Amino acid sequence: MSLDFLLHPTSYLGGVSGNLSAYLCFSAILFVFGLIAALSRRSTIGIFMGIELILNAAALNFVVFQVMKKDLAAQNWLHGHMFSLFIIILAAIEAAVALAIILRAFGSKGTINSDRISELKG
Amino acid sequence: MEVPNIIWMAAWIVLLPILSYFILCAVGNRLPRQGDWLSTGAIVGSFLLACGIFGEMISINDPNWLIQHSWTWLDLSSATQEWKLKVGIRLDNISAIMLLMVTLCASLIHLFSTGYMRDHHGKPEDGYRYTSFFSYLSLFTASMLGLVVSDNLFSLFVFWELMGLCSYLLIGFYRHKISAANASLKAFMTTRVGDTGLFIGLLALFGILGSFRFEDIYAGINAGAFDGQVFGMPAAFFIGLMIFIGTVGKSAQFPLQIWLPDAMEGPTPVSALIHAATMVSAGIYLVIRIFPILEFGHVLTIVAYVGAITAFFAAVLAVKQTDIKKVLAYSTLSQLGFMVLALGVGAHTPAFFHLITHAVFKACLFMSSGAVIYAMHHEQDMRHMGGLKKKLPITHAAMLIATLAIAGVPGFSGFASKDMILANVLGFGFYGDTGHILLPILAFSAAALTAFYMFRLIFMTFYGEPHDHHHYDEAHEVSWNMWLPLVILALFSFAAWYTGSVTGGLFGHGTDWFVNLTQAPALQYRQGAMSDHLKELAENVHHAHYPAMFLSLFVASCGILLAFLTYKTKTFSKEAMAARWPNFVHKLIDNLYYFDAFYIKVAIKKAFLPISKIFAVFDDKVIDRVAVDGWKDVAMVAKTSAGFVDDQIVDRAFVDGLGGATPVLVGASLRALQNGKVQRYMVFAVVALMALYLFLNLKEVL
Repeated sequence: MSLDFLLHPTSYLGGVSGNLSAYLCFSAILFVFGLIAALSRRSTIGIFMGIELILNAAALNFVVFQVMKKDLAAQNWLHGHMFSLFIIILAAIEAAVALAIILRAFGSKGTINSDRISELKG
Repeated sequence: MEVPNIIWMAAWIVLLPILSYFILCAVGNRLPRQGDWLSTGAIVGSFLLACGIFGEMISINDPNWLIQHSWTWLDLSSATQEWKLKVGIRLDNISAIMLLMVTLCASLIHLFSTGYMRDHHGKPEDGYRYTSFFSYLSLFTASMLGLVVSDNLFSLFVFWELMGLCSYLLIGFYRHKISAANASLKAFMTTRVGDTGLFIGLLALFGILGSFRFEDIYAGINAGAFDGQVFGMPAAFFIGLMIFIGTVGKSAQFPLQIWLPDAMEGPTPVSALIHAATMVSAGIYLVIRIFPILEFGHVLTIVAYVGAITAFFAAVLAVKQTDIKKVLAYSTLSQLGFMVLALGVGAHTPAFFHLITHAVFKACLFMSSGAVIYAMHHEQDMRHMGGLKKKLPITHAAMLIATLAIAGVPGFSGFASKDMILANVLGFGFYGDTGHILLPILAFSAAALTAFYMFRLIFMTFYGEPHDHHHYDEAHEVSWNMWLPLVILALFSFAAWYTGSVTGGLFGHGTDWFVNLTQAPALQYRQGAMSDHLKELAENVHHAHYPAMFLSLFVASCGILLAFLTYKTKTFSKEAMAARWPNFVHKLIDNLYYFDAFYIKVAIKKAFLPISKIFAVFDDKVIDRVAVDGWKDVAMVAKTSAGFVDDQIVDRAFVDGLGGATPVLVGASLRALQNGKVQRYMVFAVVALMALYLFLNLKEVL
């Protein structure tokens, strides 16, 4: 395998082919799994994991569109990749913050059950 | 457009006293000495600026010198028609001399007031009237100066009315005295009659010319703008007459002369400043400015008779007065009559000359009388005075010089100016074939009477035996800030300053600089339609010059001699002289020719009162009943219905209803939403998102 793609990434990526709707269906399923997890899990960790799934579904969508849309690749535009990179970075930051919040909540309440942590109602 | 520096100087002359007025109004009584120095300093600053303008005028020495600049004050022009109201500053020889005279007199009178009004100084319980006095003086001086530099009748009218207001305030300065309050009201109402005429004249003028500026008026006369008719009268006649009525009111001419003697209720410096030197001469100044209209409209004959009648009959009244200020008041009336008479016969320059000289010596006379009154502890009756020469030597000297000037003794300013007037009147009435022989007779009689009553005043006040030893023993010479103005003004009562034997050498322009410089505008106006009469007058005056001089010397010496024999040596008994006149003459004089009675009985009771009653009925029945009460009823209905709405609907239904319903309906459901459970929130968010998606893509979904 040559390392051409490092020098000419778009030509390499532009060469990938496949069924767009298959990718989008997979992304949608991923999203719905994440949503169900986020809405139904009582554990805050579980909600957090669901949110991660939702984010990954969105990132996947961006990558897929970047690869499948030939005119974007032809102009050396990398918007989709950039967005997915940002999403990954944001997810990492969010993981750090969210886990810290959960840890503090557990410290003060002795539980991570989201129904018990209802101080937001004021 | 570049504004010349000298215009700014003139503007500052007016602005300085105005600034002083506002400062005194705002913080006057917190200033040291209650701010009298501020007012005095402002007017002295104006005086210095006026000196600058005067010096400029003298160094140019051009009879046609004229600098003017106007600003657009109101611009209502449309695309097709220009309509601009312009106000501006006009400086020519006449206004430069006027500025110097007014600022000089006003500065000295301010200085005098710091002494004369000292009794009112620093009395908070007196309502800080000392400050008010000086603020009024400042406002008055500013309006007089503004009037002098105005280049149009509109701003002139504004300043004219401002002066009327100041006059009202200052006459009524001693407000605890009912007579002072009445006098101020009388002065205000009487001058208002004249001002109404002036206002009508201005409106007619604007209707015809579309401008108030003097330049446009002069140009309009030559261009035939005044050839039309107003109310069936020739336009120039109507406008000239109406504007002259304004002068009659302001300068207290017959038949509106009644207010000026009463105005002596004001403090003496006010009498000197307003009712002798400056404000009353504003009327003369106005006539000088609109002289071409009067001449073109043939109003001058009326003007001449008004002046002659005032000059003579006021002089007669002055003879019998015993109040020192009343004598001077009637003398002022008489001298103003002289000026109006001179204008009436077409003698534009002598009238202005007499205006200036009279202002100076009359200010001196009034302030001297003020010094006497002050020294005598506010005793004004001459019968209680006498022998004051020893006690008040400086005042006596100053007043004697000013009296010599007003009586027309050669070498003094009054002789120079009055002689010119008399020569013109004689030339007009006697040498011309006009048939107005009465004018010179009245004028010379008035001149004789002037000499008589003025020396009567001097002899009764300063000579003979003191009649009131109590006051006499306490009297002493006044302080420096009161006698210094007298001395300065007395110095300027010598003719040499005006006719040039001193100033000619000083300024290097030969003799008679005054006459040379001030007759030019008149000559300018004489071009065109109105030259004949004035050319003829100049011819006649040439013949009348020497006879007039001898006659005026003769009548003046007769008057002085008679006064000397009657009041000094007592060779003639004044009782015997008085008895020689029939009783009705005394009655006429004592009742001031029944003018006040006439105005009260006829003008006020027969004319004004019925009209006022009609207006009162209109006021009561229509405005009060229909407009005010009707409006009240409407308001009541509105109030009641609004009250009902407020009470029943707003209060009951909305406030109480909502207040009751909110906790139950809205509060409960909202509380269910706001439960602090994160997942519930997320459900809402997802449902809302789906609803939004459905809504936005309704077509595709369906």
